[in-house]
Amino acid sequence: MTDKISWETDWDSALSRAKSDAKPIFLDFFNPQ
Amino acid sequence: MDAVTYPENSVIAFINRHVVPLRVAYDSQPLASDFNVKWTPVLAILDEEGSGHQQTLGFFPPEEFIPSVMLGISKVHFDHDRFDNTLSTLHKLQGDYPKSAAIPEAIFLEGVTRYKDSHEPKTLKDAYEQLQADFPASAWTQRAYPYRLL
Repeated sequence: MTDKISWETDWDSALSRAKSDAKPIFLDFFNPQ
Repeated sequence: MDAVTYPENSVIAFINRHVVPLRVAYDSQPLASDFNVKWTPVLAILDEEGSGHQQTLGFFPPEEFIPSVMLGISKVHFDHDRFDNTLSTLHKLQGDYPKSAAIPEAIFLEGVTRYKDSHEPKTLKDAYEQLQADFPASAWTQRAYPYRLL
């Protein structure tokens, strides 16, 4: 098992992966500061 | 979320297995405007086309984070009329996290899903009676209140 969450950071990449994996998207709007 | 919830092994395993995790800054446009983000953290569950089905505001500890995401996943299935998948997700939520704050809404959604699938009004009444018995003070018990008459 990986020891961290495999975040996508690009909308189009996440959509593409969601379609290919047939999974919902978990979207986190975070404060980077 | 970064300090407490996301480092938790159970959270990492759940997220990597069940969803595609996408992380953007709260002021990233056009997404921030599209989702009306005004504060952080905002956590949303989207379907494979990018349409939102659940959006929450604020921190979740690990023991409430996974149930909240499971509830969101069940809503994606429900909104797409995938009732078997909705029910299996809700049953796993209720079985694995019986003390979660997400349970009353899960019971409500299960009742509605069963009704839409069977058109049997008793399913709604059963949901109300379970809510009234186990969570009498919940807002979801109040929302199900009319179903007592069915």
